[in-house]
Amino acid sequence: MKTMPISDADIHAYVDGRLPAARVAGVDEALANDPALAARVAEMRTQNAALRDAFDLVLDEPIPEHLLAAAVPPPSGRSIAARALRYRRALPFAFGIAATLVVGFSLGWLVRDALIERTGTPTSFARQAAFAHALYAADANRPVEIWANEEKRLVGWLTKRLGFQVHAPDLTSVGFLLVGGRLVAGNEKPTALLMYENAAKERLSLQVRKQTSGSGETAFRYAHENGLGVFYWIDDSCGYALSGNVDRAQLLKIAHVVYGQLAAADAAAPK
Amino acid sequence: MHRSAGSDPHLSIVTTPPGSDAPGLPQPDLVAAIPRLRRYARVLTGEASRADDLVQDTLARGWEKRRMWRSGSDLRAWLFTIMHNVYVNQLAMLKRESANVSIDADPANPAWQLPVRANQIDRVELLELMQQMGRLSRDQREVLLLAAVEELRYEEIAGILSIPVGTVMSRLSRARNNLRQLVAEPAPGLRVVK
Repeated sequence: MKTMPISDADIHAYVDGRLPAARVAGVDEALANDPALAARVAEMRTQNAALRDAFDLVLDEPIPEHLLAAAVPPPSGRSIAARALRYRRALPFAFGIAATLVVGFSLGWLVRDALIERTGTPTSFARQAAFAHALYAADANRPVEIWANEEKRLVGWLTKRLGFQVHAPDLTSVGFLLVGGRLVAGNEKPTALLMYENAAKERLSLQVRKQTSGSGETAFRYAHENGLGVFYWIDDSCGYALSGNVDRAQLLKIAHVVYGQLAAADAAAPK
Repeated sequence: MHRSAGSDPHLSIVTTPPGSDAPGLPQPDLVAAIPRLRRYARVLTGEASRADDLVQDTLARGWEKRRMWRSGSDLRAWLFTIMHNVYVNQLAMLKRESANVSIDADPANPAWQLPVRANQIDRVELLELMQQMGRLSRDQREVLLLAAVEELRYEEIAGILSIPVGTVMSRLSRARNNLRQLVAEPAPGLRVVK
């Protein structure tokens, strides 16, 4: 008996159980007469089953609260969109760090939950800032990743990685020039580090990162960490730390200059 | 990235206030669809945090468009359609935004991550399969998920992706062949150490 020609499309539909019933018998018959085709079909079925086994694992994960909340009818269509946006701004960019940690396959996955749950305190931020400053300011040849002669590129890159507009304050009025900047791994969010230097080759660094939701504004606070002075503050959900081996009064003066320039840049930015 | 409600088509203001006349979406079905939306989003974006953002945008968009949903029709397929469109629009936006900042990796093409944590997987061949999935094009991954994992009809898939059924079939065919070859001969760097 003659077998009807079986198309590639027929085979896929057959494997997926989507072939019209009238044509199933024809494929069955072809399979009976063609061991190579039968083997291919068996392999496709095995692949389907493996894909289901693999991707069904996602279905077992607990649903995050904010997604459950998004399934509730919004008071108005606009507010849920606004809520999504607020959430996005409040908890956005922990994953840049995870990305830098990916070694081999997706180590990021392993650290993701731990990263997202921990909340950095301002004190730990000051300590981290001091460590990062000590590490990079001491490096004569490579204190930064991008030098100040490419300031625009630097700021664009940091802005992109941190997820909000980063500004590099101009500290020439207090005798410091921008050296450049780099990205630093923080507790949970990527931190931008901007390095400055004066004529005496003393270095300062301004570090900026997004704070987790719930951390309000703070006044300037001063910490002395590892022989370094650090002024730190939180403003508009961003944490700032100015570190350097200069005396407290001078550091405070510079912190005021930084704060004033950032406030001015913020006021000028389109909302 | 900063996004403003004015420039984002998915945050557009709903002009009609919701009232008693507004047909609602069946909330239990919506909640039940979330795990599948998350799965589709991970296959689309290849990255978990962006995937959940996409799910949230999709749900928000679903509420905005709730009048378009015909009661009794397949809510999952309807949401998949919205998700696909939201994602394609976001990609276009990301590409525009990143056009003048080129130092970082293209945000539209983040590195593929495993859709689940590695320690959730107890079979080496599944781990390998998931890794190799990331080497398929997004078009192929998407069709393979919808056909082989979600087991949707080809016509439904064509509707979700706004492409002809013939294109669904050719993508599916290529996806299967590519995946089979990748799994048979994994790249050296991706070989799983047992």
